[in-house]
Amino acid sequence: MRVLVAEDLYLLRDGMIRLLAAYGHEVVATAATGPETLDAMLTRRPDVSIVDVRMPPTQSDEGLRAALAARREVPGLPVLILSQHVEQLYARELLAGGTGGVGYLLKESVFDGDQFVDALERVAAGGTAMDPAVIAALLSTGPADRRLDQLTEREHAVLGLMAEGLSNQAIGRRLFLSESAIGKYTTSMFDKLGLTDDGNNNRRVLAVLTYLNRT
Amino acid sequence: MRVLGSWLARAGVGFVRACVVAVVSLLVPAVWAAAVALGIRWGAGNPWSWVAPVVLVCAGTLALSRPVSRTIRFLVAQWTATVIPAGYRQAGPVTQLSTGYWWNGFSYERTSRDAFMDQKWRVRWGDPATWRDLRFTAIVPFTAGVIAAIPPAGAMEALFGLVQPSPALRVIGAIVAVAAAPYAWRAVVPVAVRFLRATPAMTLADRVDELTAQRADTTVAQAAEIRRIERDLHDGAQARLVALGMSLATAERLMKIDPDQAMALLREARAGAATSLSELRDLVRGISPPVLNERGLVDAVRALALNSPLETEVSADLRARLEPPVESALYFGAAELLTNAVKHAHATRARISISRDGTDIVVEVEDDGRGGAGVRAGGGLAGLRRRLAVFDGSLEITSPAGGPARARMVLPCASL
Repeated sequence: MRVLVAEDLYLLRDGMIRLLAAYGHEVVATAATGPETLDAMLTRRPDVSIVDVRMPPTQSDEGLRAALAARREVPGLPVLILSQHVEQLYARELLAGGTGGVGYLLKESVFDGDQFVDALERVAAGGTAMDPAVIAALLSTGPADRRLDQLTEREHAVLGLMAEGLSNQAIGRRLFLSESAIGKYTTSMFDKLGLTDDGNNNRRVLAVLTYLNRT
Repeated sequence: MRVLGSWLARAGVGFVRACVVAVVSLLVPAVWAAAVALGIRWGAGNPWSWVAPVVLVCAGTLALSRPVSRTIRFLVAQWTATVIPAGYRQAGPVTQLSTGYWWNGFSYERTSRDAFMDQKWRVRWGDPATWRDLRFTAIVPFTAGVIAAIPPAGAMEALFGLVQPSPALRVIGAIVAVAAAPYAWRAVVPVAVRFLRATPAMTLADRVDELTAQRADTTVAQAAEIRRIERDLHDGAQARLVALGMSLATAERLMKIDPDQAMALLREARAGAATSLSELRDLVRGISPPVLNERGLVDAVRALALNSPLETEVSADLRARLEPPVESALYFGAAELLTNAVKHAHATRARISISRDGTDIVVEVEDDGRGGAGVRAGGGLAGLRRRLAVFDGSLEITSPAGGPARARMVLPCASL
């Protein structure tokens, strides 16, 4: 995979490049400021961009804004936001476009290299990878979408894990169920959410977006 | 007929008021006159005829100035609803120390009675209001006092012929008394307003006191906050990093001898690093929430609302970023009010609105809880009010028992 790393701290940028190299991914560009990030995302078109939220020149949410701007230009351009803190507010903004290829994780998620690279690959493939903290916060607050009320407790759990970005196989391992059982849950869930399989849209992503975009 | 009746009533009331004003304001000159009369009576040869009147004038004026001022202030407030703030300095608390002595803010005294006496005199002498009252008692007889004396003087002439018992003068006296009665007492109002109000120096002194208290408060709060942060870092992240280093050192050593245990240690070290990061994150959130730095007040409050267990609606019409200290004060204020709504009011819904009113910024937090919240000394809301006062801001709470509660924070903001 061709990866863009946008991170202003040299130490973390360097560590990320080494980590990705260890997993056989190539870092095609790096950026250390918001404008650089936007420019690199649009000109180099990496398979996936790893972007830090806070970056120079303003030390505010430069990176997030650059990523959002790039995705407005090129919908679905895969972005994985890495931050010291996760905020529901930012998660909603990232998901508001309604397209997949989005991830939002805490920086310490790189501690588990396998899982991190797995999430990165999922995002590059148009899926989602959300930090469990965001999912947990979304679960506990906010008025629910009517359609979500119809889901059973098990289906809710499956959807939550799906929102984190896990595959059916991984969800099955977490819930101690077989992959085919999870498949049944997801099918009934998609029906309840009114997501028909017309071959064009990724139902998994749409279900997750429905789930996360409750307002 | 009715017009005449009401005019007479006004004249009667005015006459009584003029008499009262004349008596009160001429009280001090009466003491002076008595002192002079005493001196004349004792004659020039008696040495006391010079000393005693001076002592009498000084002591009498000093003793009467405050009661006279208070009375005039009271009368003006009663008759015209014009309230003139007294602005007397308040005495501080008198406390007994562990040594048994009493401290009144100025000196140590052996008994509480001495301490109170000493404090009373020191406060009285140091109070600029005392000197203002003295000036007033010297001015009021020759202005309002003289004018208020016109109706009673006219009446005296008409009834007793005090000046000259000629019938013409008596008639003139009666006319003057009746004509002047409704107006003569009114002269006391402008005089009192002009000379009894707080002087700019007193207003400034009050402001300085207020600011001194606030500065002390802020300094104490800041020091406590820094200590808390130090403790959190010392017991949390620092200790964890030390443990992390130790685990890594041990793992390095074990790598060759016992790779399995080295692996376990490395996993443990990773978990420790994650925990210390999450602790640091919580700490940072308490000092200065990242969203507040990155996005400003409105989005930070939105993020707060999203994280709140309450169903919270946020409305805002504020584009510009504010000064960081103002943003921080309002953010933590809103956070505290929202927490109160959850913890104490058992609310289920809340509404936060952020708006500007001229150069003020207004943040309102409403909830549907059970209400009954109030500002108690030492309570959370009193602390919030103090923190807002540092910026000359205010906090108003409307929280009837049974709800709904509404809190309104107003902060002047020059940058708006």
